[in-house]
Amino acid sequence: MNTTLICIVCPVSCPCDVEWTEEGGVTKVENNQCKLAFEYVEGELFDPRRMLTTSVPVDGGNWPLVSVKSHVPIPKDQMLEAMKVIADVRATAPIKVGDVIMPDFIGSGADLVATRNVTVA
Amino acid sequence: MSAIEKADVAVIGGGPAGLAAAAEAKAAGAGRVLLLERDDRVGGILNQQVHDGFGTKVFKEALTGPEYAAIYEDRVNDRDVETWLKTHVIDVTKDRLITVHSDKGLRTIEAGSVVLSMGCRERTRGAIGTAGTRPAGVFTAGAVQNYMNVRNLAVGRKVVILGSGDIGLIMARRMKLEGAEVVCVAEILPQPSGIAGNMVRCLEDFDIPLYLSTTVVEIHGKSRVTGVTLAEVGPKMGEIKGTRRYVECDTLLLSVGLIPENELTNKIGVVTSPVTTGAIVDDSFRTSVPGIFSCGNVLQVHDVVDYATLESEKAGTAAAIWATTGKLPDANIKVNAGEGLRYVLPATISGTDAVDFTMRSWKEDHDRAIIFKSGGEEIRRLKMPHMEPAGMIRVRVGKGRFKHIVNNELTVEVGY
Repeated sequence: MNTTLICIVCPVSCPCDVEWTEEGGVTKVENNQCKLAFEYVEGELFDPRRMLTTSVPVDGGNWPLVSVKSHVPIPKDQMLEAMKVIADVRATAPIKVGDVIMPDFIGSGADLVATRNVTVA
Repeated sequence: MSAIEKADVAVIGGGPAGLAAAAEAKAAGAGRVLLLERDDRVGGILNQQVHDGFGTKVFKEALTGPEYAAIYEDRVNDRDVETWLKTHVIDVTKDRLITVHSDKGLRTIEAGSVVLSMGCRERTRGAIGTAGTRPAGVFTAGAVQNYMNVRNLAVGRKVVILGSGDIGLIMARRMKLEGAEVVCVAEILPQPSGIAGNMVRCLEDFDIPLYLSTTVVEIHGKSRVTGVTLAEVGPKMGEIKGTRRYVECDTLLLSVGLIPENELTNKIGVVTSPVTTGAIVDDSFRTSVPGIFSCGNVLQVHDVVDYATLESEKAGTAAAIWATTGKLPDANIKVNAGEGLRYVLPATISGTDAVDFTMRSWKEDHDRAIIFKSGGEEIRRLKMPHMEPAGMIRVRVGKGRFKHIVNNELTVEVGY
């Protein structure tokens, strides 16, 4: 089968022409500027996932919020469900980029990790 | 007023461009480098852009805005750049005397080189002249991004977004994730303004409708927005009669473009481009005024921060070389934007080193090429399977190609 998929890994948004089959997976990718597109189109066709990025409140920090992300992409259809889990999460300063705020937060294997340094106010 | 402070390089604005310029100025041998930032932290807009997708060109991975900013903040600190926060630059002269205002009072800096990296601000409701009442609940998308992602403030529950710029699309997803109802995104142009990737992950993923050739013709509500009237527009942007419809909402987000903050640039008397409104620069990012450099979004609006970083690193390096040696290669080769292109930067080049040309096309097109010509002869071409005004085009031309230039004239155009 032939499909055009817009690679969403970076803002360049390469419109990738993809050749694939249900059994053999992706056989050809064209129109992409870099190799990050291969992994993306494979995932988008067979197991679509997205990075979840949001923020959670911080107690005692120099910022009221710490920005966070799923350390690996989570299933696309679980994004809104994941936000409900995160709604009850709080963090305490100090926090460093990469600190795990909540391990395996939706049972998909992805940890919720900090993307900002927060020092004690 | 206290004694005049001296610096080799003063960088105005501590966003991604200023951070990169300051770090590289130091690495290129400048003595005292001052980074002047009016906010209480460096990083600029990246601090509120908690989504990912930054760094794929420079670091080959998709980082979030705060992660990307933290790398350059560390770099600036490691290299002993002196950062002045809560410092507002109110004047810069041709002789590179900088007047700043801060909680330490008025101060004057005499700089060997000045890098202008002030970035952009958002266009507001006033800039697009939308009719109606003046209720609370009308925000620019970036302001809401700051409220939600930095200050922990919610702004509304039922949202209409006007303009399909990237920040608008990203905020559509952000508000949806935070539990708001996003009624629709309206775009006055017949094509989206944001990059294609954001159409997928911000709108399609969440079934948020996008109405093209549609705008807000009236805002309703007394103390708070109660709704907006949408209407379709024709090819000349005129409202099409009979297409008005009322949409209930409590919040209107505007994502209707960015204005490069070139007030200081103009005050200095730097020659600017009517297309970009930013300075006209050479391949060292020198403006028309000696010792004044410009880079980042104040020079040209970027859609990829990595490219703003790379451009600013060059500007910072050149600013350091100029401050310490007074010498940079003369840029005598004029670069013209030809057929199909709105503008090309740099506007002049020296031909002594490879140049990363940046440009934008007038319209969306397929299977074209960017062609560099001099004296009617082609000296470089790059195939463009797809191009659109929303995507900046960046083409590197190696130093060896410049020896084919005749009459100090280079034209860049869209061809076949």
